[in-house]
Amino acid sequence: MRQTISAWAGAFLLVSTVTSVGAHHSPSAIFDMSTRISVTGTLTKIDWINPHIVIAMDAKGSGGSLERWTFESNPPSWYRSVGLARADFAKVIGQTVTVEGVRARDRSLFGYMQKITLPDGTSLELINSADSK
Amino acid sequence: MLKRYVSSFAWAMLVPAVVLAQQAHPDLSGAWSYAIDRAPAALKKTVNGVVTIQKIDQSARHGDATAVPGARPSTPAPSYKPEHQAKVKHLFDNESKLDPVFYCGKPGVPRIGPPRKIVQLPAETIFFYEDISGDPYRIVPTDGRPHRVNANPSHYGDSVGRWEGQVFVVDARNFVDDTWIGEDGYFHSAELRVTERLWKVGDNMVWQATVEDPVVLAAPWVMPPRLVRPSTESLEESPKCVETDGAKLLNDDHHLQR
Repeated sequence: MRQTISAWAGAFLLVSTVTSVGAHHSPSAIFDMSTRISVTGTLTKIDWINPHIVIAMDAKGSGGSLERWTFESNPPSWYRSVGLARADFAKVIGQTVTVEGVRARDRSLFGYMQKITLPDGTSLELINSADSK
Repeated sequence: MLKRYVSSFAWAMLVPAVVLAQQAHPDLSGAWSYAIDRAPAALKKTVNGVVTIQKIDQSARHGDATAVPGARPSTPAPSYKPEHQAKVKHLFDNESKLDPVFYCGKPGVPRIGPPRKIVQLPAETIFFYEDISGDPYRIVPTDGRPHRVNANPSHYGDSVGRWEGQVFVVDARNFVDDTWIGEDGYFHSAELRVTERLWKVGDNMVWQATVEDPVVLAAPWVMPPRLVRPSTESLEESPKCVETDGAKLLNDDHHLQR
């Protein structure tokens, strides 16, 4: 397992326009929208629940300690509409994935998943609809 | 004599057919696109270097169909009596903490918007919904019966329907008072009454609601109409709703919902 956390200056515009939290609160009420993180670790769980799907993963911290991360993402109905089901994530439980997103302002091991790269290299990324034309 | 008889017979056959044709109601049955708010994002999928973009249809989620034929003049927001405006502002300012929908609450009528599926039968029409809070349904009698006398107040009310020409009109009342009629703190009383109008424009359906609440509103609120497209996406049971973000909110930021 390998964990890397990187901050990209200027990422605010990209992330804030994604507005991934959807039919809920503003993402800035919980997440630090100015910093995008990347966490690599073992996918341990996928909860297909409203108002956000939730994934859990174990990653190795900078000091070598085990870090248990939780990421929420868009609602199940959104994933269904873009052709993804719980099984698309569940099939890689126990395998190494990389999740990119924004981290909670309280610095807990909690974030909003905006991109996941699966073991076979397939990546699934939430992007702004206006940028997808 | 025979000629006159034949002519009269022909008219007798023709007139009812014309009347029936004029009275025939459009069929609203079918699945319709999601009208609830979802994340305004598209999916970028990359497999072996090949990129595909999958967008979702969110055209039905907000009332931007004011120019469609049959739409009534509308306003984007309700008008509250002066003594209730401070409460609306308080709810709006604290929306992310006080809006029941944020915490898996039922949106009720009219906030849930147009149905996801309609089954139109001779004596009743059934509305099905998919929502984060669950999957409610409404059975709307169309046989002329009155509202139920002993029905308990509910989030989706007691409805009866009728046809006004090509427009299906649903009169809903007998609501509980713990829902909002829209975002931005639009609360209501138990005197809420909602009239929904649904009609076809080509293959699409239009849904427009009028909200009356003599206790809190200064005037009926005619909501902006929504144009809803047919959907090929089948309905699916909504997963349970487990809200855990509320305790993590560090400010009152919120954004457009519905």
